[in-house]
Amino acid sequence: MNRLTCPFCGARELEEFLFHKTLAEPGSSPYADTYERVSRMEESLEHWQHVSGCRAWLRVRRNPSTNDVQEVRCLGSPEDP
Amino acid sequence: MIFRARRGVRLSAESFEFSFDGRRLTAQQGDTLASALLAKGYRLMGRSFKYRRRRGLLTAGVEEPNALVTVGSGPFQVPNVPSPQLRLAAGMVITSQNRWPSLRFDLASLAQFGKDFLGAGFYYKTFMWPSWRFYEPLIRRLAGLGPAPRDCDVAPPDVRNLDCDVLIAGGGPAGVAAALAASRSGARVVLCERDSACGGELEFETATVDGESGIVWIAAALAEVQRRRGLVLTSTAVVGGTNGLIVALQQSQGLPGADTYYRIRPRRFIAAMGSVERPLAFIDNDRPGVMLVNAAESYLARQGVCVGREAVLFGNHDRLYAAARRLAAGGVRVRAVIDVRPTSLSQTSEGSRAALAGVGIECLVGHAVLRTLGRFQVRGVQVASLEPRARVRTVACDTVLVSGGWSPAIHAGLSEGGTSTYLPQANGFAAGPQPSWRALCGAANGIFELGEVLADGHRAGAHAALSLGFSFDSARAPVGQGDASPHLYAYWRAPTGRSGERRQFVDFQNDVTVADLRQSLDEGFTDIEHVKRYTTLGVGTDQGRIGAVLGAAILAELSGRDVGVIGQFRARPPYQPVTMKTVAGLRAGALLRPVRRTPLEAWHASHGGMLEPMGLWMRARYYDRGGIDAASAGCEEAARVRAHGGIFDGSTLGKFEVVGPDAAEFLDRMYLTRASTIKVDRSKYMVNLREDGMVLDDGIALRIAADRFLVTTSTGHADQMLSHFEYYRDTEWAGRGVSITDVSEAWAVIVCAGPASRQTLCAVLGEGWIEPLGRLTHMGFATGEWRGAALRLLRASFSGELAFELHCRPRIAIPLWQALVDSGLLPYGIEALDILRLEKGYLIGAELNGQTTPLDLGMDALVKAGNPCIGRALMDRGGLHRVDRPMLVGVRAVDGRSKFLAGAQLTTPEEHVRSSGYITSSAYSPACGEWIGLALLARQQAQAGNVLLARDPLRGTETRLRVTSPVHYDPSGERMKS
Repeated sequence: MNRLTCPFCGARELEEFLFHKTLAEPGSSPYADTYERVSRMEESLEHWQHVSGCRAWLRVRRNPSTNDVQEVRCLGSPEDP
Repeated sequence: MIFRARRGVRLSAESFEFSFDGRRLTAQQGDTLASALLAKGYRLMGRSFKYRRRRGLLTAGVEEPNALVTVGSGPFQVPNVPSPQLRLAAGMVITSQNRWPSLRFDLASLAQFGKDFLGAGFYYKTFMWPSWRFYEPLIRRLAGLGPAPRDCDVAPPDVRNLDCDVLIAGGGPAGVAAALAASRSGARVVLCERDSACGGELEFETATVDGESGIVWIAAALAEVQRRRGLVLTSTAVVGGTNGLIVALQQSQGLPGADTYYRIRPRRFIAAMGSVERPLAFIDNDRPGVMLVNAAESYLARQGVCVGREAVLFGNHDRLYAAARRLAAGGVRVRAVIDVRPTSLSQTSEGSRAALAGVGIECLVGHAVLRTLGRFQVRGVQVASLEPRARVRTVACDTVLVSGGWSPAIHAGLSEGGTSTYLPQANGFAAGPQPSWRALCGAANGIFELGEVLADGHRAGAHAALSLGFSFDSARAPVGQGDASPHLYAYWRAPTGRSGERRQFVDFQNDVTVADLRQSLDEGFTDIEHVKRYTTLGVGTDQGRIGAVLGAAILAELSGRDVGVIGQFRARPPYQPVTMKTVAGLRAGALLRPVRRTPLEAWHASHGGMLEPMGLWMRARYYDRGGIDAASAGCEEAARVRAHGGIFDGSTLGKFEVVGPDAAEFLDRMYLTRASTIKVDRSKYMVNLREDGMVLDDGIALRIAADRFLVTTSTGHADQMLSHFEYYRDTEWAGRGVSITDVSEAWAVIVCAGPASRQTLCAVLGEGWIEPLGRLTHMGFATGEWRGAALRLLRASFSGELAFELHCRPRIAIPLWQALVDSGLLPYGIEALDILRLEKGYLIGAELNGQTTPLDLGMDALVKAGNPCIGRALMDRGGLHRVDRPMLVGVRAVDGRSKFLAGAQLTTPEEHVRSSGYITSSAYSPACGEWIGLALLARQQAQAGNVLLARDPLRGTETRLRVTSPVHYDPSGERMKS
């Protein structure tokens, strides 16, 4: 995983992106949301920002054990829950 | 004595001079340092790491553990270059390493004549009193590799990016077969070969491929790869990499350290990095003159150098005989071939032995070399049959060529979770299952026969191409015939007693012997990774290439376990030494970080502004007027602001426009302070929180129109705040009608503070601005133009004086600033700004440390009037309201004159252990005439008048302080409202 594919800019160097956090389990308390980080072998849901590019906030789904990126979605698009 | 026997395949007739340890020597084009020195009869090429034993060349490759040298001088000096890797160029300056005062006579080598050799852990166990730190500098000087250059090399390195379908590391038969297969399918191929020419052992092995000699086939195959748009990079070593990015280094001849750094993005990666021949352990197997069989063949074939006059070959496989034949043909007198295999297992070489006997070379089966003899270099070997009670005989020779088999070079297959498994038929470890983008082939898979190697390379290349969707018209693997199967026999060390084990070297670079391995087991370090750390087996530049498999096998023997169970420790990238400069690439010097400049920076620079980097900005700390120090200059500037006035460049503030029908609601959610209640043309001091309820930043929000705000942030938090805003726009409040635009660089900010600010601005800004300057109350603002460019005038103060912020377009920043200076307002810098803020109890920065809530900072009124916002929920946690929470207070010395500094811990006078708080900011206040400070102090201690001790053990001071209000100057705020 040395590149992420930004929905707007295409495949770009990882150093253009800023990692923000790993998402907590859905529906958890504000406390868990702030302090608890989920660490799973197979799948990790993360928020990244294309900070040195289009500045879009992205939700990245990847496999931390293989570094395979399964999905990069733009946050804040109307269809996003 | 000249050892150059014939013209090597890499040599040309052209010769030149270079310097080694101050002596001028000649070499021929195509020589490496190792071959040039061998040709001159050099044997001694380095000193060992720990015992300083004399060492000669062991190998002909990057795995060389002994003959490491320093190339170049001054800033261009590169240490730890393996001499077989160093292609010589005219005028090169080379020095040997790890010896003092000279290579031949080294004082520290006396260490080895002590009672015992220094065993594993010797230093740490012995040098305990008074402490390890006492001895460390001396020991580090004695034991070590070459020194790093002291000066900075300013030449920028060459960094290149490459994209390809298939990257192949290694240009031996396997790699070339893989490249050929992949490029025939139409895939774009890059092939990197570490050596200066491709071919690997085909340069000396008696071999044919597809009916041609090995090197002719290699040349033809490479030409075809290049014709098919493939790129062949020689002298280029793949040194590491991960999924998606492989890093390779191209050595430039003649310019040490001026490597080209390739960042290669292949879709598939094939590591065909061959294998590394390893020695066997016998007594004094590190004496100069002991060399690997492969290395002797390489020097003879490539540079035409005989590595010695009279040689004994010693090993555990059939290839010894072919090598003996070729070396004898090249001019080395082979005294004996000593095959350690028992007669029953060496029948495959019966014919070879007969042939060698025919030319007078003695062959001993079932025998082993027990030790080498000689003082400064090998003069002979002791040989004995492995039968019990065998007679020991001496064979005179000046060279011992040893081969204990080949360790597959699997380093590239071990990154990203790769594993290794023992392969009994290859006497080595093979890489475990590989990810879909990576494969190994050839000798790296433990395959040592040319025909099979070519087929394996072809298979790997074809498979990579097919997996990428390429296809073949015809896919026939090249057919080759070379040296027959080696028929390896698992044999690792010659028999010896316990004392002999101290001189059976396993890892030459780190002076690890069989005795060290035994000691490690005795002391309970049995896992291979523990053995590595305890004995240093496999650390250093060779990363276990020579010693890893041998060490694992001997550990297995000593502990009665299976080699496969012992396993191989993880070798780490880089696969060969890389200079830090190369890793840094272009991110060095001025290119390390971009520099941000305010529109006024040029003025500051030319008017005595002492510019200092703050974040990415260059900001004036103070303005030099006659060489006084920063603190005094800051005091003068601050005092001038209070007495008359001054101007400050605030352009570095973060400035965002938040626009849209939902802008007010959005800001209400982002800030503790309510934005929706701000009237148009008014502004408000704003504080916002992190999700955990701690204060993140403060600033001002200006309501420009009902649906348009300009918010400012502190300089240091500007980038973070923009991301923070954008995050909530796209997550929690996605879909709301709000847009956020960073306008930080669209507005320069000139802060104009002091009692004279209003009349000076009236004079400078002119007619149209006199009315608003008179009308504006605290936090009001007006908009207009000055010299045709937009200007916003905000009455706000962070100095406690009557003050205005001028937000103007950058192009009028310098004229406006100059006009203010000409009218008598002199500039002040960060130093004075901090004094002015501190005097008024405004937060300086250290108070916003990510651990303070608004209540801690005395913002109770803001919290009461506040609204539900990010961080509000977690701010109400019980622990954040306890009496020992820190609280922002002011502090002054009880005696009214003592100096105290930020960082000092505050305790009650009786208390010596527990700190009640600490000083966050302090400065000498010209307005108060004494030192003042801000502190975070436990709430129960925070009553005004309480006396505490400020303990500053780092600076050796103790000061009695009394707690005051944080506002040290003009507490009623009358000056600001005037």
